[in-house]
Amino acid sequence: MAEFEPKIIGFLCNWCSYAGADLAGVSRYQYPPDIRIIRVMCSARVDPMIVLTLFKEGADGILIGGCHIGDCHYISGNYHTEKRVYVVKKLMEKAGLEVERFRLEWISASEGEKFAKTVTEFTEKIMELGPSKVGEDPELTNRMGAAVDASLDFRIRSLLGHEVGMIENGNVYGETKTEEEMRNIIDIAIEDEFRRSLILGVTSSKPASAKELSQIANLPTERIVEHIATLRQKNLLAIDHVDGMTPYYVALRVGGD
Amino acid sequence: MSTDIMVIGGGIAGIQASLDIADKGGKVYLVEKTPSIGGRMAQLDKTFPTNDCSICILAPKMADCYSHPNIDVLTYSEVMGVEGEAGNFKVKVLKKARYVDEAKCTGCEECAVKCPVKVPNEFDQGIGERKAIYMPFAQAVPRVMTIDKEHCTWFLKEKCGACKILCEREAVDFDQKDEEVVLDVGSIIVAIGYDLWDPTPATEYGYGKFPNVFTGMEYERMINASGPTGGEMKRRSDGKRPYKLAFIQCVGSRNPQLGHAYCCSVCCMFSTKEAMLAREHHDDIDSTIFYKDMRAFGKGFFEYVERAKNDYGVRYINSDATVQENPENHNPIVVYDVAGRPEKEEFDMVVLATTLIPREGAVKVAEMIGIPLTEFKFFESKDRILAPVDTAKEGVFLAGYCREPMDIPESVTEGSAAAARAVETVLAKGVSV
Amino acid sequence: MEQPEQPAETPGETEEQPPETPAEPGSEDLRIGVFVCHCGTNIGGFVDVPSVVEYTKTLPDVVFATGNLYSCAEDGLASIRDAIKEHKLNRVIVASCTPRTHGPLFQGVCEEAGLNKYLFEFANIREQCSWVHMKEKEEATEKAKDLVRSAVAKAALLVPQEEMKVDVVPRSLVIGGGVAGLSAALSLAGQRFDVHLVEKESELGGFTRNLNSLYLGEKSAEETIKPLIDRVMSHENITVHLNSQVGDVSGFIGNFDTTIVSNGSSQEVKVGTIIIATGALEYLPDGLYGYGMYDNVVTLTEFEILCKSHKLPKVNKVAFIQCVGSRGQDKSYCSRICCVISIKNALYLTEKYAELMGDDGAERVEVGVSVPEIASRRRRRRRMAVAEGAGAPAAAPMGGPEITIFNRDVMTYGANHEVYYNEAREKRIRFVRYTPENRPKVTQEGDKLAVTYYHETLKTERKLLADMVVLATPLVAPPDAAKLSKMLKVPIGRDGFFLEAHVKLRPIDFATDGIFVCGTARGPADITESVAQGLGTASRAAIPMARGFIQAEAILAQVDPQICTGCGTCVANCPYGAIRMTEEGVAEVLAAACKGCGCCGATCPEKAITMMNYTDDQLLAQGRSILQGAL
Repeated sequence: MAEFEPKIIGFLCNWCSYAGADLAGVSRYQYPPDIRIIRVMCSARVDPMIVLTLFKEGADGILIGGCHIGDCHYISGNYHTEKRVYVVKKLMEKAGLEVERFRLEWISASEGEKFAKTVTEFTEKIMELGPSKVGEDPELTNRMGAAVDASLDFRIRSLLGHEVGMIENGNVYGETKTEEEMRNIIDIAIEDEFRRSLILGVTSSKPASAKELSQIANLPTERIVEHIATLRQKNLLAIDHVDGMTPYYVALRVGGD
Repeated sequence: MSTDIMVIGGGIAGIQASLDIADKGGKVYLVEKTPSIGGRMAQLDKTFPTNDCSICILAPKMADCYSHPNIDVLTYSEVMGVEGEAGNFKVKVLKKARYVDEAKCTGCEECAVKCPVKVPNEFDQGIGERKAIYMPFAQAVPRVMTIDKEHCTWFLKEKCGACKILCEREAVDFDQKDEEVVLDVGSIIVAIGYDLWDPTPATEYGYGKFPNVFTGMEYERMINASGPTGGEMKRRSDGKRPYKLAFIQCVGSRNPQLGHAYCCSVCCMFSTKEAMLAREHHDDIDSTIFYKDMRAFGKGFFEYVERAKNDYGVRYINSDATVQENPENHNPIVVYDVAGRPEKEEFDMVVLATTLIPREGAVKVAEMIGIPLTEFKFFESKDRILAPVDTAKEGVFLAGYCREPMDIPESVTEGSAAAARAVETVLAKGVSV
Repeated sequence: MEQPEQPAETPGETEEQPPETPAEPGSEDLRIGVFVCHCGTNIGGFVDVPSVVEYTKTLPDVVFATGNLYSCAEDGLASIRDAIKEHKLNRVIVASCTPRTHGPLFQGVCEEAGLNKYLFEFANIREQCSWVHMKEKEEATEKAKDLVRSAVAKAALLVPQEEMKVDVVPRSLVIGGGVAGLSAALSLAGQRFDVHLVEKESELGGFTRNLNSLYLGEKSAEETIKPLIDRVMSHENITVHLNSQVGDVSGFIGNFDTTIVSNGSSQEVKVGTIIIATGALEYLPDGLYGYGMYDNVVTLTEFEILCKSHKLPKVNKVAFIQCVGSRGQDKSYCSRICCVISIKNALYLTEKYAELMGDDGAERVEVGVSVPEIASRRRRRRRMAVAEGAGAPAAAPMGGPEITIFNRDVMTYGANHEVYYNEAREKRIRFVRYTPENRPKVTQEGDKLAVTYYHETLKTERKLLADMVVLATPLVAPPDAAKLSKMLKVPIGRDGFFLEAHVKLRPIDFATDGIFVCGTARGPADITESVAQGLGTASRAAIPMARGFIQAEAILAQVDPQICTGCGTCVANCPYGAIRMTEEGVAEVLAAACKGCGCCGATCPEKAITMMNYTDDQLLAQGRSILQGAL
């Protein structure tokens, strides 16, 4: 087998990290050549869906670089980035992909050396982890698919979008939440939506029973049944057929796709 | 008659003034003495009270300024004479030869690699070296090289020429000549900033004598990740990092004997920031600040000092202080007093908050333009209450530290204020809009 | 000054037509041209440029690829221009240095050749490739190929963007008629804009009207600002609304609809920009140091009013206490100017003592104040004081007041303030430091006020019997600031003062375009600083009005109203207040205010928002192209 050449993608914000990467160049700091950089205006532009999709499609490592907290060119973008990174990591964890493959680093325009160092360390880490098993391992691939779907879920995205505001200003009823309370709510949403996405993913190709789903999702049957009930309420899942006493479920396609 | 406006000084005040005028459609000549715009702010590592990375927030403004279609940036240039009056000034500007074609140079710095002449790097306060052909700093604008004629072997001995041979763009041009131009402008904004006072004459602090006594700006360059030590604090005596840092405030300032009776306005916060950054670099570093009055008077400043005390373990001691040295290990010893009782304490490094003084050239600029200076050689406002950025001469305005000690946001504010007044002048004096 | 180049013909939004109608993404007609730069040996020395060029030619939709020795040189630029025309290129990629320095240059060339500049894409193969992989030519070459391929993938999906123009009404609303607001209004009028100045009181002048003297001036506070008020009142471009308040504000930069309410009647005014100069109030230290309990315990401003109205009682020993209610005692912040104001009043009392203590004060206060000889003599004396330093205090005038200023740190920053501090010490005004652990205490003892304090050097308690105690309290935000903040959708900070867009570089701007803040509404500031800020906002506000239009970013968010469910997540996330809900209940991006960060798009629960030029599809295409690996 040829030597492992990791596929690493770096999303860098235009104002700080991309400038830091340029400074590394101007200063001729050498670092391993495996990273490929994609420029974005703000690190907050990087939708969790994009990161998870690229992992699902075989990326060995993804780095997001943003301005230090407080330095954001767009006032508070990086604050949002931090929140989104949390969700990405949680979903990676649920899917069983090493979270070390994903890294967020604040790199300023004057930290050329830090950029070089970060890339060097990160590349070494990825070398140590070896090639991503996504693609090779069908179960992991399925789970990553569910992670991508969960990242597109309304509830998670909405919570994420309101997290900062809920902590600082409260909801429409004026109730504020502590950071910890918000984290708990988001954690629960991630758990639920990931499992549901997984159920939908599995049942979209082949009808499955609650018991089968419980094995795939690695979850007690009673929790699976709850998810099935929710999905059926939302008209996303239906009974395909009943084998003996066991119902088999199938995902319903919504919309036009 | 001209409706163009000249801004003298390419620091943050001058950049802000230029951008404001240019964004309104006015034509600006921004004259900067050094090879790059950016001024003092470009030298700073972080800025208080948010610890924002200084160059990160400044660089986009520098780029905007240089690429603005309404701004003609004349770097490495000096104002040599001013004649005329509001609406009709004739300003003589010397464009010094940089011996590199600004249009051709790509800023690759390969020539500097080959250049055999090493010179202490003034941007890094002499810590670290640059070459005789050099880029003043990594984020310089414009990103072009300059040959320092005083040190270049070609100019001294007509030998070498390595840079010229190497440059494939043929950007190096030893035959370039200084050029004098006369520019017609309707208004002038003076924003020439400040100089750093050299504390060597104040022997009680041991600067220049004890190797491990540094100035604030030297320290600032050292902790900067793109500075001469790559962000490491290094003692001059042995290159080791310090564990115990002392900051001494009001070195040369608030001191009539040394001629600087005024307060610098920024040093209390500057040192507090530096002490916090030290802890951010190494969490086992301890800092002590010796001060007269802790002047944390700006928005969020008092809270910043509280944070330094509580979260960063910075110790504040209300005392004058002088420096001696332990000859065995070159450790500076700070002598101070607590409630009238003298105390001594040994440190690894001492950082002096040296006073910031009016530019050496301020007197010449004032004479050329014909505007008065204050007793401290800051430019004098026409009316210190209602017309702070106006001068006694109509059409000439002031912005930033050259008027009165102030910090970055105040300089930015005054840059805008001077821009408003200059635009008012050219509109009143100029041909119809 | 130049006129705006293209005055928009119709109000509202006008668009520039792209010069050509380029191919839709994904259509057969994509014609991508790629220019790979050698940059002398900077790239060429470490990357095999010819092989990158050959490889590029094999990529889909690439119809032209070539190497350039220096793309940024005049001949390099000309070759790009020519190739666009000759090969009918409708997407252009330059693989060279960094878009941060050279993006605008190459975009300009595209425009010259008639190509919309948003159809240009950059591949950074110098700063982020050749210069950082100088010892690995093979890998660097592979990386350069990948970066070019990724750029091609994105270029294929680029669509031309138009920069929207929004007209700006050349009229400004200044809220607050103190020195900051007056300075702002006057400068805007001087820059030939109409100004509506709204003041809730019946007179202009703001806080300064309370004051007796000003520390930088020889004249009384009222006399000092009178010329400023007169000029504002008589300026033809300024409409002054006294006894008035802003009732309502809607709209955005360039086109704010405001309602000015005066004496029950209201008036609609359309303005392009708004300046907040609503000032601050003095904190009332109820319950602190006997304030409210003992008659002769007053605040600084009350002391000035007493002096001004010649009602100062007979006093000899006066104690000033600094930091009352500030720096952790209730308010957390330092109020910046109270030290110099206490010093000013201490000096005033010292200098004018005989007059102030006379029976017939009314006329005596005026003596010598505006006589130029005396003024210049005093300036000379101040200079001498500085030269002599504080070490050699002159004898206190016979029979003068004995003044003590209890302080924590004397905040006489800068040159002007420090001169006064030195003068005060020279005049034997006593400065005694206290710590928050040992605050002075004020009690009544007979007809005197006893100030008990801890002497830090002697480590003992001491007592001072004073005739009057003056409390230096901080400036605080007025209660109606919060209301205004909600109305204008601009933030206030923890202390109730308005919060600027950026502490360092945008000190008088708000993140929301078209609204600015000056003076003590922003935080404590002295009169000079308030004037400078007023003038500063006049400059900032004049920018869009002088241009006559706002050129909105082309890289901005777009909402698909078909998909949007109106959940409002984007509105909550936008740091610029650039998204609003329409009457139909869907989100709408205000092109004039959007900065294109993309924060909204990345969190839109329905994925109804597209970030132009950085779309999900474009970013995914780039990523996928990288994963695909060089063939």
